Amino acid sequence: MDLFAHGVGGAKDLPIPAEYAIAGACAALAVSFTVLALAWRTPRFNTGSPARPAAPLLTEIVDSPWFRGLVRAWGFSFFLYVAAAGVFGKDLAINPIFGVFFVLLWVGVVPMSLAFGPFYKAISPVRTINWALARLSGSDPDVGLRTYPERLGYWPAALGLFAFVWFELVYPFNAELGPLRLWCAIYVGVMLIGGALFGNRFYEHADPFEVLSTLVGHLSVWGREQGRVVLRSPLANLDLVPVRPGLLAVGSVLLGSTAFDSYKGSNHWTRFIQTTDMNPNWVNLAGLVLFVAAVGLLFAGATMLTGIHDVMRRRELPAEFAHSLIPIVVGYVVAHYLSYLVEYGQQTVILLSDPLSNGSNLLGTGNRAINYWLSYHPTFLAMTKVAGVIVGHVLAVVAAHDRAVRLLPKRHQLTGQLSLLVVMVGFTIGGLALLFSS
Amino acid sequence: MHRRRRLAAGAAAVLITLTAASACSSGDSGDKGGSSTEDASVINVTIKGDTVEPNGKRYDVSRNQTVEFVIDADEAGEIHIHSKPEQEIEYAAGTSTHKVSFDKPGIFAVESHALEKTIVELEVR
Repeated sequence: MDLFAHGVGGAKDLPIPAEYAIAGACAALAVSFTVLALAWRTPRFNTGSPARPAAPLLTEIVDSPWFRGLVRAWGFSFFLYVAAAGVFGKDLAINPIFGVFFVLLWVGVVPMSLAFGPFYKAISPVRTINWALARLSGSDPDVGLRTYPERLGYWPAALGLFAFVWFELVYPFNAELGPLRLWCAIYVGVMLIGGALFGNRFYEHADPFEVLSTLVGHLSVWGREQGRVVLRSPLANLDLVPVRPGLLAVGSVLLGSTAFDSYKGSNHWTRFIQTTDMNPNWVNLAGLVLFVAAVGLLFAGATMLTGIHDVMRRRELPAEFAHSLIPIVVGYVVAHYLSYLVEYGQQTVILLSDPLSNGSNLLGTGNRAINYWLSYHPTFLAMTKVAGVIVGHVLAVVAAHDRAVRLLPKRHQLTGQLSLLVVMVGFTIGGLALLFSS
Repeated sequence: MHRRRRLAAGAAAVLITLTAASACSSGDSGDKGGSSTEDASVINVTIKGDTVEPNGKRYDVSRNQTVEFVIDADEAGEIHIHSKPEQEIEYAAGTSTHKVSFDKPGIFAVESHALEKTIVELEVR
């Protein structure tokens, strides 16, 4: 086994069969217009009736200091363990930090948040350090020197997410330990300064991983109402994503980068990048920016192409609808990273037993073999991918529909949705085309 | 009145989309992906200085089929196959032949890390 060459990746899934792509595209079209024609005409989500409370014991447990402390301690121990591999480990592909960073953190946080809600917030090592520093100085970790400027919204997180996808998809030396260490050091540094300046509110808006996790967590069934844990339908939960500046930017970076990653894996792009006279790094950067900008501009344009109330400002519409991008993002993540998460995730767990590359088996996972069931079942994999994209699309269309009937004047509610619907169908067909031609 | 109109609009929409869907699905039913590939059991690779031929071309390979790499190189080196698990071919200067096979489906890049180039991609099914 070649352990010394690449960091993570190299192998790709087979393209999805043509009939799957076509059937998926047709299903997306059919469902979209059916929703538009037949769905409710008055808002349905979070209209005042109380959500279904979870068992009171559950609230007690998740709010208890010992549970919070336990989860936080687990997250921080894991952070220290991986940081040790980063600082004292060797610059080899068997260093588990690569898999932890690119697979467990970036992709693994999505299913964890779908299952548990704001997962990264609960384990966030930077929140833990901020908490410890506040403890030491006798201050409150929630309060910083200043209040977080509202108009910044999610923009810092969008920037941080872009820094991540740039590192993952453009930066040529991302499989080397030095640059990865530097990226992480800058992340931790910025997060600690931000936390000191603005308190915990900073992480809610600026920590790329927390923002990703919390937004995806809105598709879980877990919510809060007056402090108590409640159960909500994922759509009602999604409807509660706070509308803040930069929300669309976050969605665009996530969706655009995933789409670009898929496009970059096509044989067409490989051959182009190897024969062009242009600097491949700049070409890749341009491609990434183009995909992200295309998602953002198409979405913003489509949401603004409608009649509105006199008191409303057109420029506010993109952020009002941006939550509907989240299910599309999750669908794409399933489609593009499922086998990657399952197989490289297992490899990472195996490698985690030997953080310093000296042959030790600290966690007892070192002798495990990777289960390649998913690779051996490409038909199942292809079906799951198409299903992921379609389910994401349907949730997005329904979420946008409910927002439209809530916000738009009666006579524009149907026509006002058309442009966004067309763009969403375009995203979905584009995504299926990428899966088909990978 | 409104409700009836809505129902009619809805029925029309469903009809249109169902027609579209059935029209769509009766179309092409080839089971291959969209990339153009070439079937090969022998792949000739030429590595001279910092150029390599082929330059990223994709080949169709069957599972457990033996693929023969015939490598013509001006100096010794190694190429990596990003299969699951990864494989490595070490070659000497001159012409040499190397056999590999794959038990799992997928698209596997064959790369020269010294040149940072994808030589070929193998589409195994």
